[in-house]
Amino acid sequence: MSHDLASLRRQLEDLVGNSHVDAGPETTAAFAVDGMIPALTVRPGTQDEVAAVVAACAASGAALVPWGGGTAMGMGNCPVRVDVVVHLDRLNRVVEFDPDNLCVTVEAGMPLARLQEMIAEKKLLLPLDPPDGARVTVGGLVAANLSGPRRLLHGTARDWVLGIRVVLPDGERIRCGGRVIKNVSGYDMNKLFIRSFGTLGIITEVTVKLLPMPAAQASVLGLFPDLSGAAATAEKVLASFLLPEALELLDPCALDILAPALGRSAPGNFALAAGFTGSRETVERQVRDLETLISERGGTVRLFREVDSVRIWDAVTNAFGALPQDPLRVLCMVAVPIARTAGMMASARAGATGSGLTAATLAHAGSGILWAAFFPAAGLPEDEAVSRMVTTLLALREEAATVGGSLVIQEASPRLKERVDAWGKPGSSFAIMRRIKTEFDPQGLCSPGRFLGGI
Amino acid sequence: MAQNLLIEGLRQVVGEANVLDSPVHLQLYQYDAYLEERRPDAVVFVHSTEEVAGIVRVCNQHGAPFVPRGGGTNLSGGTIPFRGGVVIEMIRMNRLLEVDTANLRARVQPGMFNLELGNALAPLGFQYLPDPASQKAATLGGNVAENSGGPHCFKYGVTTNHVVGMTVVMPDGEIAEFGGLAPDTTGYDLTGVFVGSEGTFGVCTEVVVRIVRLAEGVKTMLAIYDSIERGSETVSAIVAAGMIPATLEMMDQLVIQAVEQSIHCGLPLDCATVLIIEVDGLKDDLEAQTEAIVRLCKEHGAREVRVAKDDAERALLWAGRRGAFGAVARLTPSYLVCDGTVPRTALPAVLKKVAEVGEKYDLKIPNVFHAGDGNLHPLILFDWRNAEQKARVMKAGMEILALCVELGGTISGEHGVGLEKMDSMRLVLSEADIRSQLRVKRAFDPKDLANPGKIFPAPQEVACVP
Ligand SMILES: Cc1cc2nc3c(=O)[nH]c(=O)nc-3n(C[C@H](O)[C@H](O)[C@H](O)COP(=O)(O)OP(=O)(O)OC[C@H]3O[C@@H](n4cnc5c(N)ncnc54)[C@H](O)[C@@H]3O)c2cc1C
Repeated sequence: MSHDLASLRRQLEDLVGNSHVDAGPETTAAFAVDGMIPALTVRPGTQDEVAAVVAACAASGAALVPWGGGTAMGMGNCPVRVDVVVHLDRLNRVVEFDPDNLCVTVEAGMPLARLQEMIAEKKLLLPLDPPDGARVTVGGLVAANLSGPRRLLHGTARDWVLGIRVVLPDGERIRCGGRVIKNVSGYDMNKLFIRSFGTLGIITEVTVKLLPMPAAQASVLGLFPDLSGAAATAEKVLASFLLPEALELLDPCALDILAPALGRSAPGNFALAAGFTGSRETVERQVRDLETLISERGGTVRLFREVDSVRIWDAVTNAFGALPQDPLRVLCMVAVPIARTAGMMASARAGATGSGLTAATLAHAGSGILWAAFFPAAGLPEDEAVSRMVTTLLALREEAATVGGSLVIQEASPRLKERVDAWGKPGSSFAIMRRIKTEFDPQGLCSPGRFLGGI
Repeated sequence: MAQNLLIEGLRQVVGEANVLDSPVHLQLYQYDAYLEERRPDAVVFVHSTEEVAGIVRVCNQHGAPFVPRGGGTNLSGGTIPFRGGVVIEMIRMNRLLEVDTANLRARVQPGMFNLELGNALAPLGFQYLPDPASQKAATLGGNVAENSGGPHCFKYGVTTNHVVGMTVVMPDGEIAEFGGLAPDTTGYDLTGVFVGSEGTFGVCTEVVVRIVRLAEGVKTMLAIYDSIERGSETVSAIVAAGMIPATLEMMDQLVIQAVEQSIHCGLPLDCATVLIIEVDGLKDDLEAQTEAIVRLCKEHGAREVRVAKDDAERALLWAGRRGAFGAVARLTPSYLVCDGTVPRTALPAVLKKVAEVGEKYDLKIPNVFHAGDGNLHPLILFDWRNAEQKARVMKAGMEILALCVELGGTISGEHGVGLEKMDSMRLVLSEADIRSQLRVKRAFDPKDLANPGKIFPAPQEVACVP
């Protein structure tokens, strides 16, 4: 450890207590970002402590990376430097729960699942469903704008966050938004920090609005021998009056992962899964209508109600978490205009086949989001595997770009990230993004290098 | 003279006929729906993104401020050229460029009126959800710049939830694309940051919005109360029962009387308040939802609940609500619209206090507002020719905003800060909060040419450190 970091360590220990600062690779290795092990990890216990920690890092020129549940740490490019990881697990209190006004304020390190449990007691929910909800923290959810199948009806974090508190890169604390559902008192600063990936400061507190729990829910799964039947049905649903909460396309590999939850496998099939919530009347009506649409297109219907429906969505939401671990696997998210979603799924699968890779793909059919995981064939030499991945990803990114979309790597080995930028090329708005970063973090100390265009 | 050179430069971009600089013309652009006035040096009609970029570059050459102007209906002085300069009149960029039903998006020029977009989408079975009560005369660009709300925003969110991309002429004249047809664009959410920036981040020249199917069914109710408190309690009771109606709007007696005089929609003149409640969605449970709401209203003291029998009845109810500001204008030479917001459950308390403020300053304050959002619009009536009265109005307005903040709310729900609420910003923002917002402003507009002199209060005097 350099001299500066040694003195920073002592300062941090003074600020948060010895037991909340760790140094040395044997303890900090668990907080490596893309293989870069931080010199120090620090666990502030209050928002003011976060501010003091950030100010101390700024004063000694140490680069820091905030860490929530760690579920999205694979995103982005390899950081340029990681001196200090600021772990927010102790920042996990409820600040204020106001069920009558459908809102709650929590500290950023609160796990999403725990928040959901607490508000469920008042028959409320936050309709955001990122993968791995048990580990995702509310702060991380916001910083990475993570989302899941339910974004079709409910949108993403940017639609649910009412206010946040942030520690800026110089250690100053600010508040953005508030706790009312309409707020135009100055700029909408929430939007600046949502999905800023820790490059503009550390989110320490979040206020979100909530929804009353629906009276009923059900899920319908349509199994089709090919993608086109499932995709055509999805198109019909989107053009109808139906208001599914989620509408997912699953390829045979993704469907395989779900076999245990579904209670049986359906080899070779594609699936369209729709989730409905609401009153009993509207749920029943939608189930009936969708069953008809599926049958008309030659699919077979499976219906799941209430707890079974919940179980199915858990499985779908976390499907990629159940994929086999493989150091060479790549996980990416492709975003395209809605009508292109199924086409991208076909392209991702074809691209994989063409390069001798295996793909599992799953798409939010009504939102324009495709998740794809690529695996090398067994026994392929590492160099060759990485090269093939690179080719496949770049071709897919190119195709997404032609329709104004993007491909973002969610998880990949540092070796692959050296050859493929995690975000792709920045567009005409990059100059302003750079200027924003410079205004807020002139020293470039917050998560340096992880974001778009080297920010 | 520098002034002539500026005008000459503008003319070279858009032609002689599209630049106004005669005093008579300029006078028409010195005010908006707020109460202040300031004359611009020139008004320019623009027709394309390139023209806007050309105009902004000329402004840069001459260090002239510029202010984009849509319908001029904003209530906070957003379009008043506070430091003079050039008003960029957007109203001719009013085309619907593309309706893409497969992708559930529409591409619109910013000068299009909100209602025109609605009218163009409806025959296709689609709608754009944010619907400010001023939708007949407010443009999409103005909606974007103010992050406007509207009666349907309780269930569906405000402008920012429905704008997914835009083309912007930056304050230095560069053209940039934010967001687009595809979701989750990489990098910072500049679309989200731009929405609500009140013309201070540049000129939006194209907007991509989310469109959705028209609802399969709609039911509209009018609940009539003899007590304003019972009416506002009902709002929270409906939400507590687990329902999210599309709208929950409220009007008090003075507003009802004004509306009846000008629109004749059959509102009872003797009641204390009415709630306009609308539920929409799949038709299967609308009857049941309506029944449940009618029951709740009655339990909370409604003396009568009417359910609109057909589209004509429904349209009449909405004509009354949408015409409320206009109708009140017949009661008085001028009024100040407050726009404070509170947590919904604080509505009964805040309404009572607003009435007390009215008594204290001897002012009439009718109320018409988005109750579901907790967004008040006390309208403080006065005569602009009476300076003493105007001073009282400003004090009363400030007191009402302070009340909202005290109850956990904020100083503006949807009308923006503009010139009007600069001094109230410190009620909700710390110096650090203000500084951080100014950082964003500097990043977008380092020369401070885009609608300068708005939103931010003058820096506080700081004692010199020896
Ligand atoms: C009777 C009445 C009822 C109203 N009801 C509501 C309501 O229910 N909800 C609500 O939210 N508001 C309401 N308003 C306020 C007002 O209508 C909205 O703020 C509206 O969005 C303003 O649109 P406009 O086209 O008139 O904008 P303008 O008043 O012309 O401009 C408003 C701001 O936007 C900027 N601007 C305009 N165009 C652009 C552009 N292309 N690019 C960048 N900046 C631009 C201007 O510089 C200015 O700062 C009401 C107003 C009235 C008079």
